[in-house]
Amino acid sequence: MEEFRTKVNRRIILASGLTLVAVALGIYAVFSLQNVPDDATMSAGFISGFQFGLIMSIGILSMVSVVKLRRALNDEIKLKVLYNKEHDERLKTIRSKAGQPLLSITSVLMIIAAIIAGYFNIVVFYTLVAAVLAQLAISAGVKLVCMTKM
Amino acid sequence: MKTRIKELRKKRKLSQEELALEVGTTRQTITSIEVGKYTASLVLAYKIAHYFGLTIEEVFDFSNANEF
Repeated sequence: MEEFRTKVNRRIILASGLTLVAVALGIYAVFSLQNVPDDATMSAGFISGFQFGLIMSIGILSMVSVVKLRRALNDEIKLKVLYNKEHDERLKTIRSKAGQPLLSITSVLMIIAAIIAGYFNIVVFYTLVAAVLAQLAISAGVKLVCMTKM
Repeated sequence: MKTRIKELRKKRKLSQEELALEVGTTRQTITSIEVGKYTASLVLAYKIAHYFGLTIEEVFDFSNANEF
C-alpha cells in the first residue's frame, strides 16, 4: 500500500502541474481573445474556442482529481477503495474489452494532431475531432454493455 | 456460477462493500459474482473462500463447470 501511496502522491503533483499550466494557458487565451483581428474567420474563432474549452476541461478535471486524490490520501479506507478499484479484475477485463488504455492515448494524440492541423486545414480538424468523438462513443458504449453483462 | 457468498455474508452480517474491501475488489464485482454474472478468477475465489475460512469448493458450486 505504501507503493500505491507514493504513486498517488506522484499523481497529485502531476495533476497540480497540469492545473497550473491550464490556468496559465486559460489566462493567456482570455487576453489573446481581445486581440482578434477584424478579418478573422468564423472557423479561426471555432478553433481558438475549442482550444480554450479543451484547456478549461483539462484544468477542471485536474483540479477535481487533485481534490479526490488528496481526500483518498488522508483516509486509509478511501485509499484502499481507490486501490481496489484500480486493480479490480472485473473492471480490468471491461476496460480491456472497451479498448482502454490504448484508445485514450490515441484520442489524446488525435486531438493534439487536430489542433495543429486546424491551423492549416479546417477540414482535417473537423475530421479528426469527429473521429475522436466516434471512437470514444463506441468505447463508452462497449464499456456500458460489458458493465451490464458482467 | 452459483456461489454461497451471499449466504455466508448474511451469516456474518457483512455488507458487500465490507467484503469487497477485505478481499481487495469492488462492491460491484461482489454483486456480479453473487448474481452469477461474473466468474471470479482463481485468486479472487481463493481470497473469498479464505476470508470465510472455507475451501473454494465450499463457496463456489462447480457442478456446472463443464458449461464454462
